[in-house]
Order: sequence, then structure tokens, then C-alpha cells
Amino acid sequence: MDKPAILYVDDEIINLKLLEANLEKKYHVLLAPSGAHGLEMLESRNDVQVVISDMKMPGMSGLEFILKAREKFPSLYYYLMTGFDVSADIQEALSRGQIVTCFTKPVSMGVIDTEIKKVIRE
Amino acid sequence: MLKIKFEYRITLAYLVIGSLWILFSDRLVDNFIDDKSLMTDMMTYKGWFYVMVTAALFFCFLKRHLYKLRKAEAELERHRNHLQELVVEKTRNLDLALKELNTTNLELSEKNDIINDQNAELKDALQHLKNTQSQLLQAEKMASLGILTAGVAHEINNPLNYILGGYTGLQNYFSENGIANERVSMLLENIKTGIDRSAAIVSGLNQFSRSRDKYDERCEIHSIIENCLVILNHQLKDRVEVIKDFTNEPFLLTGNVGKLHQVFLNILVNASQAIDERGRITIKTEKSGKWLHIDVSDTGSGISKENLPKITDPFFTTKDPGKGTGLGLSITFTIIREHKGSLEFESELNKGTTVRIKLPIN
Repeated sequence: MDKPAILYVDDEIINLKLLEANLEKKYHVLLAPSGAHGLEMLESRNDVQVVISDMKMPGMSGLEFILKAREKFPSLYYYLMTGFDVSADIQEALSRGQIVTCFTKPVSMGVIDTEIKKVIRE
Repeated sequence: MLKIKFEYRITLAYLVIGSLWILFSDRLVDNFIDDKSLMTDMMTYKGWFYVMVTAALFFCFLKRHLYKLRKAEAELERHRNHLQELVVEKTRNLDLALKELNTTNLELSEKNDIINDQNAELKDALQHLKNTQSQLLQAEKMASLGILTAGVAHEINNPLNYILGGYTGLQNYFSENGIANERVSMLLENIKTGIDRSAAIVSGLNQFSRSRDKYDERCEIHSIIENCLVILNHQLKDRVEVIKDFTNEPFLLTGNVGKLHQVFLNILVNASQAIDERGRITIKTEKSGKWLHIDVSDTGSGISKENLPKITDPFFTTKDPGKGTGLGLSITFTIIREHKGSLEFESELNKGTTVRIKLPIN
């Protein structure tokens, strides 16, 4: 049985590597170093179910990336990750249901795994 | 010279002249006239002559005397009149002066009122200025602190995320390869403790620097106090015993999370600084009707009676220059007031201080 595919977008390479290392056994982890790369990856594949993005990135912010991705792929589950406090923008996106939840760094892999399991299709 | 009164003089003159005239005129008439009838006529003429002369003399004397008297009287009258005029005039002048004085007095009293009013206004303005200055200073400080802590938080949260990710990876690696033992678990546990504590500090710092101005946030007072204690840990540990007596009753407190962090940080810093060597801080929370009571007691040096009413004044401090701005409790007081709560202090020198905070709850 194929592992469910998840996309993780973060400008910090170490974060990308660590998430992959910790979750690759359970998921097919796709990585993108920016929102633009993330969009390209979503265009080229059709098996991604979950998208996780860091908030603060150069150029396109995580929230901007998610809002753009949602226009084309509204059925996916989107998660934000932030090193800051949950800002008013993020709060608004949460209340509109544009993102499922917002993880605050440092975030344990267990927490991410649990959250993904809640929404993923077996 | 002997001054004889007029009536004596005139009587004396009359007696002398009359006696002399009788003596000498009778002798003269006797020498020249022998005829008896002529003698009788002469006596009669002599009598008339005497009467005439004395009348003339008396007339002259009296006239002169009376003239003097009348003149004196007239003079007196004139003086009296003049005096009266003088009195009238002086009275009028006095009245005028009095009126002027009254007017001046009134003006002065009005001016005095104005000065008093202006004085009060100036005092108010000064107080207002001091408050504004303290708020500006604090706002500026918090803004810089906010930028700094937000930056620090983000920069530290990322590496913390690496460590946490690495920790999780290692944990899995060890258990998958069957090399999990007590020693490895202990080492990993220590890494996890370090991560958790750092994350708590960063998250606490983030709470302090929240710059929202609204008072509609859900405030978890107990975790706000815990955050402050985490930040103050280096000041308190090994020196101050902290006793937490928190209520288990549920309550909902709405307000400004960032500002309430400032309140408890200020109060706990003061309590910690009041304790010279070793001591105890007791934090008690209690629900009572529509209020939450939070009492923070320390076993520190206390506040003197004369200083107690001044401690919430802006810029009032007993600390050495550079050690305290005198703004902490002034800002604390302002924030509590903005939350529609109250702040009271009880203190005894060398015994300690209790800060009583009351905040409205829903």
C-alpha cells in the first residue's frame, strides 16, 4: 500500500531534512524550499493530501502560499507552522477554515503525525 | 507783664479818673470862682463834662474790646467752617480711598482666584505630563522589547525545532536499532528538558511583547503568573521560595494578555528585589463573586508608611539611580485600572509587603 503523500514547505533546509527523516516511514514526504516551488510541485502531482508550510519565508509567506494553493486545490488539508506567536492573520485563516491548525515551533513530530492522521484518507 | 482782665482795668480806670477829677477840678474851680451861683453852674457843667468824657472813653474802650472779641469770634467761626469743610473733604477722600481699596481688594481676590485656578491647572497638567511621559517611555520600551523578543523568539524557535526534530529522530533510531538503554534514555530526556524549558521561556517572552491594545483576550492568569516566574527563575532560584496557592474554581477573565504579563512581572520583580538574602513569595488566587483576588506577599524589607501612598506615582523610586525608573508600579496601576480592577498595598517595614489585586471576571 502506498504511503500517503504530504508536502512540506520551509526555507530552512534543516527543518525540511528533519521532518523527512522523522516522518518518511509513515508518509511519502515531498519537500519544497519556497512557496513557488511548493505550487510547482502541487501542479506536477495529484497524490498530495496534506500541505504543511512555514509562515515566515522570503518572498511569498506561508499563508500567501496556502491561499494561492487553496484556489487550485481546495480539497487538500493545509497546515501552517510558525516561530512567532499566532498572529491576527493566522487567527483569521483559522476561523475561516483555510488552515486546519497552526503549529508553533518547536513542534514535536508526534503532534504533526497525530494531526495528519486525523484527516488523512486510508 | 501783669495782665489785668478787662473788667478790672475799666473799673480801676473809672475809679482813678473819677477821684482825680473830683479832687483837682474842685480845687481849680475854688481858686478861680467865688460866685456861689456860678459855682453851682460850674459844678453842673463839670459833672456833665465828666459824664461826657467817661462815656466817650468807655465807648472807645468797649468798642476796641468788643471789636477784638468779635474779630476773634468771626475768626473762630471761620475756622470752624473751614474745619467742617476740611472734615467733609477728608471724609470724601477717605470714602474714595476706601472704595478704591475695596475695588483693588476685589480685583486682588479675583486675581488670587485666577492664580489658584491656574496653579491647580498647572499641577494637573504636570501630573498628566508625567503620566504621559511614563506611558510614552514604557510604550517605547515595550515596542523595542517587542521587536527584539519577536526576533529572538523566531530565531531561537527554529534551532529549537532542529533540536526537537533531531531528538525525535535519535529516539526512533535508538529504539529501532535496539540500542535503547537507561543511559541513552537519560541523555535524551535531558535534551528534551532543555528544549521544553527554552521553548517555555521563548513563549513567555512572546507573551510579554504582545503589543495588542485591546482588552478582549481570554487571560489565563495562572499561566501568565507561571510565565513571569519562568522569566524570573534566575533571580529566584536557590534564594526565594515561591508558594503558589491557586484556586481550582473555573473563571473567565478577559483583558490584555501582554499587559497582564507586565503587571505580574513588575509585582514579582519588586517582591524578589525586596528580599535581601533569603525569603518567601506567596501567590494566592481566589474567586469571590464577580471578582478574582490575587494576593502576592513577600517576606522582604517592606515599605515605610510615608512612602506607601507614593509608590504608584510615576518616577517615584527608592532604588539607587539606574536600578529602577520608578515606573513599574505606576504602569501596573494604570493597567489594572484599564482592566477595571483595583490594586492595594499592605506593608510593614522589615516584615514584608502584600499586594492585593482585584480583577473583574465573567
